[in-house]
Amino acid sequence: MDSEDDFMSDPPSGDEIDFDEGTQDSDIGSLGGDYDHDHDGGFGYEKDILANPQKPFEVDYRVLSPKEIQMHQERQFQEVSSIIELPPEQTAILLRYMRWNKEKLIESYMDNPEQVLESAGLGATVDPSPKTETVKGFTCDICYEDDPAMQTYAMKCGHRYCVDCYSHYLTQKVKQEGEAARIECPYDGCHRIVDSKSLRLLVDQNVQDRYEVLLTRTYVDDKDNLKWCPAPECEYAVECSVKKRDLNRVVPTVRCALEHSFCFGCTLADHRPAPCSLVKMWLKKCEDDSETSNWISANTKECPKCHSTIEKNGGCNHMTCRKCKHEFCWMCMGPWSEHGTSWYNCNRFEEKSGADARDAQARSRHSLERYLHYYNRYANHEQSAKLDKDLWVKTEKKMTSLQSQSNMSWIEVQFLDTASKALLACRQTLKWTYAFAFYLERNNMTEIFEDNQKDLEMAVENLSQMFEKPVTELGSLKVEILDKTTYCNRRREILLSDTAENLKKGTGCIRGH
Amino acid sequence: MSLCLNRLQEERKQWRRDHPFGFFARPVRGANGVLDLKNWEVGIPGRDNTIWQGGLFKLTLTFPDEYPTKPPKCKFVPPLFHPNVYPSGTVCLSILNEEEGWKPAITIKQILLGIQDLLNDPNPESPAQADAYNLFKKDRAAYERKIKSIVKENPAP
Repeated sequence: MDSEDDFMSDPPSGDEIDFDEGTQDSDIGSLGGDYDHDHDGGFGYEKDILANPQKPFEVDYRVLSPKEIQMHQERQFQEVSSIIELPPEQTAILLRYMRWNKEKLIESYMDNPEQVLESAGLGATVDPSPKTETVKGFTCDICYEDDPAMQTYAMKCGHRYCVDCYSHYLTQKVKQEGEAARIECPYDGCHRIVDSKSLRLLVDQNVQDRYEVLLTRTYVDDKDNLKWCPAPECEYAVECSVKKRDLNRVVPTVRCALEHSFCFGCTLADHRPAPCSLVKMWLKKCEDDSETSNWISANTKECPKCHSTIEKNGGCNHMTCRKCKHEFCWMCMGPWSEHGTSWYNCNRFEEKSGADARDAQARSRHSLERYLHYYNRYANHEQSAKLDKDLWVKTEKKMTSLQSQSNMSWIEVQFLDTASKALLACRQTLKWTYAFAFYLERNNMTEIFEDNQKDLEMAVENLSQMFEKPVTELGSLKVEILDKTTYCNRRREILLSDTAENLKKGTGCIRGH
Repeated sequence: MSLCLNRLQEERKQWRRDHPFGFFARPVRGANGVLDLKNWEVGIPGRDNTIWQGGLFKLTLTFPDEYPTKPPKCKFVPPLFHPNVYPSGTVCLSILNEEEGWKPAITIKQILLGIQDLLNDPNPESPAQADAYNLFKKDRAAYERKIKSIVKENPAP
């Protein structure tokens, strides 16, 4: 068993349990329970949600703030350092070197401490209390200064440089090159790693802060069960135990403390119900021009002699290639000379080669139509989602003006915000249902899926329509909008639960591509 | 800035005191007759008992203001036929890359010896020009013939 597994199964300490529950709650809220809770507690299914927080399309996860990540690291330093009896600074270097695999580190360290220290760039041992000093007759090999009052520094490797040069070097590494865990001694060929105590001794606070940030970053990057929130400037990380190999059966959507939701598997935006592998295929399909070639094969033929691509846009079947002047029949693709007297009326349909060519073309035409069907709907929801972002801004304005026009309180106009959030979430889901459907094998499940999709789509369009009504009418539509919002969220949950369960069971057959 | 010039001054002193046989290295004299410490012209001889023996290859070393925090740019003039030399003449070598093996304590002498080693010991993992790399990979005999002709065109005095 590797350390990640072990780390996951460790019972969290007290303070984390509190935190854990906190995120769970806010997560349920943001996924729909909250809407009902605020506005129409009367709906029967609300209780079910609260009693059964884990829905099939949700996964367990935990949000970590930068401070908590730091604490996590430190706890591991302490833990391992007490076992292998080295100071935490050195343990930190060893753990980073071993990519946070505690067991492997402890085991190999117990076997052969010297070798582990050597390969991790620690050589012998690290000075427990590093200090700078002046050395008689010393010349710095970087700047060639030989002032006897000059402060100098060397790690245990003995490569001594003046403090200015050392600090300059470290600052460059940290600030310009973004290095932290693997900064080596400035001497050519010396692979000794600069430990955090030495670094703190030599550089100013600003560089030290950056150094800490970079170290934390490598901690999250190195561990499979941690991921940074991909939103720009977001500092939170998410811990989730879903493994790579399970990504075909579950879509682990998580949400950081700032409400950025993303897929833990691929860090793209929420793409439920479609699993990561399918999303990747779909995006690639939309991106590359495989569809262009599909169009070409559906709408054109090649000259049988020079293979120029020809689109026939009118005229008779007697073709003369513009390029090579080859004369052939558009119907059977055979040479025109063989048509004898049956000019302009090809009677050679039954020939096998001709039949094959026609089949291939029909298949390719069908496949293109099928793709376009799903793509258009996918793109449409993507476009609508963009418009919904504008809607978000307008919502705020609507809320303010509704307040002033109808004597409603701020709390009372919140239903618009709730509706706009629901619209966004549903559109996002709908968009991916079309990519999902493209790869879905046709069976009974598909029909259920398509019914769910249709219901959600209708609900969303209804709500969307209502939402765009002028402000004066909105006040009187409040109850209706609330109903629709709840209905949309409910439809979305049903669809997601259904697909998530099928994925888990492996019954939602994905076409082989 | 003054760190850069101090260091170069000292490098020059060290070089004059002692340098490996067959090499030369000196700062360029500018149009006004003043030494430009940040631009050097250097010559690297092919190592004995290799196909490069008997050749002398000229480079320019350009030192950035951040030297020795950042490495100098080393460029063969004219560009050299070698798998790890870019078509522009720039040398691709790990110790000359600030994100790889560059350390502020590396001296000019070490750089030049490093480039001399590279001549006969190209690194096929990081090809920099197609011609030399392809010939080196596909037809070693033709590659060696080509090198020998290049050595003849660039004889050591």
